[in-house]
Amino acid sequence: MKDQHVHHFEHTDVKVGVYVCHCGINIASKVNVHEVVEFAKNLPNVTVATEYKFMCSDAGQDIIVQDIRSGKVNRVIVASCSPLMHEITFRNATQHGGINPYFFQMANIREHVSWVTAEKEDATVKAKALVAAAVHRVSKHTSLEKKYFPVNPNVLVVGGGIAGIQAALTIANAGKKVYLVEREPTIGGHMAKFDKTFPTLDCAACILTPKMSQVRSHPNITLWTYAEVENVSGYVGNFTVQVKHKKRYINADTCIGCKACVDACIGPENIPDEFNEGLSYRKPVYMPFPQATPSVVIIDENSCYHFTKGGCPPDFSSKNGHLSPQLQSLLRRANECFELRDFQETLKLTKEILKSSPEHQETLFLHAQTLYQLGMINEATEVMRNVMVKERCVAACPKGSVDLYQTEAISEIQVGAIIIATGFKTFQGERTTQYGYKRYPNVFTSLEIERLVNASGPTGGEIVLRDGKTKPKSVAILHCVGSRDLHSNRYCSRVCCMYSLKLAHLIKERTGAEVYNFYIDMRTPGKGYEEFYEKLCHENVHFIRGRAAEVTDWVLSKAELGKLVVRAEDTLLGMVRRVPVDMVVLSVGLEPQTDAEEVRRKFNISCSKEGWFLERHPKLAPVNTFTDGIFLAGACQGPKDIPDTVAQAGAAAAEALALIDIGYVEMEPNTAFITEENCSGCRICVALCPYTAITTDPVKLISVVNPALCKGCGTCVAACPSGAAQQNLFTDEQIFEEIEGVLEYV
Amino acid sequence: MQQETPKQIRFVGKLDPDFVQKMWRGWKKVKFEEEMDPQFAEKVASYPGCNTLFDCIQCGTCSGICPMGSFMEYAPRKIVGMIRAGFKGEVLTSYTTWLCASCYACTVECPKNIKITDIMYALKQLAIKEHMHPRRLPIPVLARQFFEIVKKFGRNNEGKVVINMYFRTNPLLPLRNLIMGIKLYLRGRIAFTQDKIQNIPQLTKILNTVKM
Repeated sequence: MKDQHVHHFEHTDVKVGVYVCHCGINIASKVNVHEVVEFAKNLPNVTVATEYKFMCSDAGQDIIVQDIRSGKVNRVIVASCSPLMHEITFRNATQHGGINPYFFQMANIREHVSWVTAEKEDATVKAKALVAAAVHRVSKHTSLEKKYFPVNPNVLVVGGGIAGIQAALTIANAGKKVYLVEREPTIGGHMAKFDKTFPTLDCAACILTPKMSQVRSHPNITLWTYAEVENVSGYVGNFTVQVKHKKRYINADTCIGCKACVDACIGPENIPDEFNEGLSYRKPVYMPFPQATPSVVIIDENSCYHFTKGGCPPDFSSKNGHLSPQLQSLLRRANECFELRDFQETLKLTKEILKSSPEHQETLFLHAQTLYQLGMINEATEVMRNVMVKERCVAACPKGSVDLYQTEAISEIQVGAIIIATGFKTFQGERTTQYGYKRYPNVFTSLEIERLVNASGPTGGEIVLRDGKTKPKSVAILHCVGSRDLHSNRYCSRVCCMYSLKLAHLIKERTGAEVYNFYIDMRTPGKGYEEFYEKLCHENVHFIRGRAAEVTDWVLSKAELGKLVVRAEDTLLGMVRRVPVDMVVLSVGLEPQTDAEEVRRKFNISCSKEGWFLERHPKLAPVNTFTDGIFLAGACQGPKDIPDTVAQAGAAAAEALALIDIGYVEMEPNTAFITEENCSGCRICVALCPYTAITTDPVKLISVVNPALCKGCGTCVAACPSGAAQQNLFTDEQIFEEIEGVLEYV
Repeated sequence: MQQETPKQIRFVGKLDPDFVQKMWRGWKKVKFEEEMDPQFAEKVASYPGCNTLFDCIQCGTCSGICPMGSFMEYAPRKIVGMIRAGFKGEVLTSYTTWLCASCYACTVECPKNIKITDIMYALKQLAIKEHMHPRRLPIPVLARQFFEIVKKFGRNNEGKVVINMYFRTNPLLPLRNLIMGIKLYLRGRIAFTQDKIQNIPQLTKILNTVKM
């Protein structure tokens, strides 16, 4: 496309140049290069055959360029290393010489021959065969062009934790439009729950909330909370994403977060607060936490009376006085019948009352309730509409933002790149039964303690036992719960040692309690982490090297009475110890999100065995996935602390920017194509294609390959019963010619 | 191996015998490489289920949970560590393996799924094979006697096992437990008549197949 001097040669005009590389001694020590060159000279169409010490060097490439320019060759074979190493190098050289780069073929005589063959003679024979195969094949090569596709400049970030926030802000600051989709009612993720961050002990909220509000106010960021990605289609540079806005029952655009509805709500107040890990309670309408972004309340449909009982119970107190004693007694009887679950009788009585006093609310309400219990939900709703009192939140809202009849909405957006930052979940403490989480009340998980030590937490920063008032005098922190354990997770969760040290410090500081750390290995690799560990040693925190065997309330001495006993071997001293404590903290590990598999499928990326999203290369492409245009950030790729998460989010943002900034994507032409006249429209390839690149033409009823999606895996080519599916650079003709080349000279 | 005895250490003045004893103990704590058996770990690991011992991260869960741990001279974690280091003599002569009650608590709790109880059995077998087990400890004798009787008759006989064990370990002990023995006999807990299974040759064949 870019090169103006591309000549197209006829097959009859084939002039092959064979260049055999010594690769220092890598090839030459096993393969008799000179013999291969002499052999190549006698192959059909070969006009030039030569050898060189390093073909990939500038001088080596120059030989190829000069030979092409002087008209000696128009097909190039380099017998050297693997295509992964240097195919691009030699293709560029071929193009530089003035012919189509796909008139080049590589014969791998290093990885496939010299490195793996024991005998010199065998190696030379095999090298000859491979060179012959390449010479045969290259004569069937055709001129191909790279394909270019435009890229949509918008970016979608999935997940609004610290990783998503960082990635979104970086891209938005570069002037690109970002959609940030978060499935919880607020962004902030796990970091918003923390009090302090290790090792500097700076307050998590102080460094996170400015970023959160920046996201909210940034003109380039469209923030959608309580929304989930429903469907992703398209390909790199051109994704179409459907985002489902879940029912929040509040108009998020008009809500100002005044919490008048929360004050007015008369719903149950005993619903465990998810944000506080169930340590406090909330109403059905609530703000997740004071600094929630966006500052919008949410109504929980599982507990709100509107959804569970058909409406707020009306206020009866003032109306009863107007009723005649006869009606009152009828009402009492109706109530009693309702209590006794005699709904037919209740219905009869309420109808009787309604005849004489049609506006009476309690009766209407009872009537509706009865209908509801009898399963006549539509009728019940109809009656409830007549109850004069509106839902309390609706009445209290100054902006009219409460919308109890909200429905799910779907937005469809076009983006060029996607960053996945869906984060992690913590290990469930009850899965390690020997530590008695949920069996003994004073066994906590580390996330619960994070909330307890947090100044905006349920106790205002007081560390107390489950009874809500007693301060612990001794605390045991058990490391590696749900990590390094074949019963749960094999891997090390990487952050637990450090956050356990942080919690040990905070507990020591706030309560002055004796803190015992039971650890297997203390892992503090990071800037300032080891120094933090040293600091803790100076603070007289006890470190016992030994995984806690069990937590029990089985008492063996007077000192252990009423306490939890942690039994563990102090492996450094070789003695079993029983440590009585008031509070046990389980340093739970990190796990992939429960629906990671579902998300993986949605975005067509890969998961590792444990369920973490898989990067393309652990070292050289840590934020890329195997799907082009989709990048990873943060703990969804593996356990990570905040500094690493932020760094990775920045890297993912840079990769996404690199993709969208250039404006187009370049595609190798080795894609599949369908020969129209051969295709019978059986659709076998449609179902098999792992990249959903093949569709059926609705008019011709044959398969069509989208070259932008095709990765050139060849699955359709192998499966096609009529041979209609073919692949550029791997046509049947080329493959057969290659095989013949091998067989002819072995 | 050159191992100096405390007598060769020169001291100025009179030697305190207590001090010498402590010195001697301290000296014995140095383990020379030539005293080790580098193949010992491989040997133990070759027993079925025992190659898991290389997964050990020395976390101490097994020792912490072991109900017999406080009676052992080397707790299970140490045993695994010593096997890997090649402390063949110490491991095979120790009481630890024989005190293992096979409750499998360690196997259940081990975060690396190491079959510690199986390793204990392997060590018992090895100790007997190498004649290194503690001779007058009743546990290995009891195990051997139990096996001999079952091998011969196909069924166990408590009375016989107990008597055989006592005569091979401490012949005076039965006198002390005589009354308990009589009580057990009266309640039918100990029988002196031998039960047999019907087809003993077949059992012998099975045991020969597994090379017992």
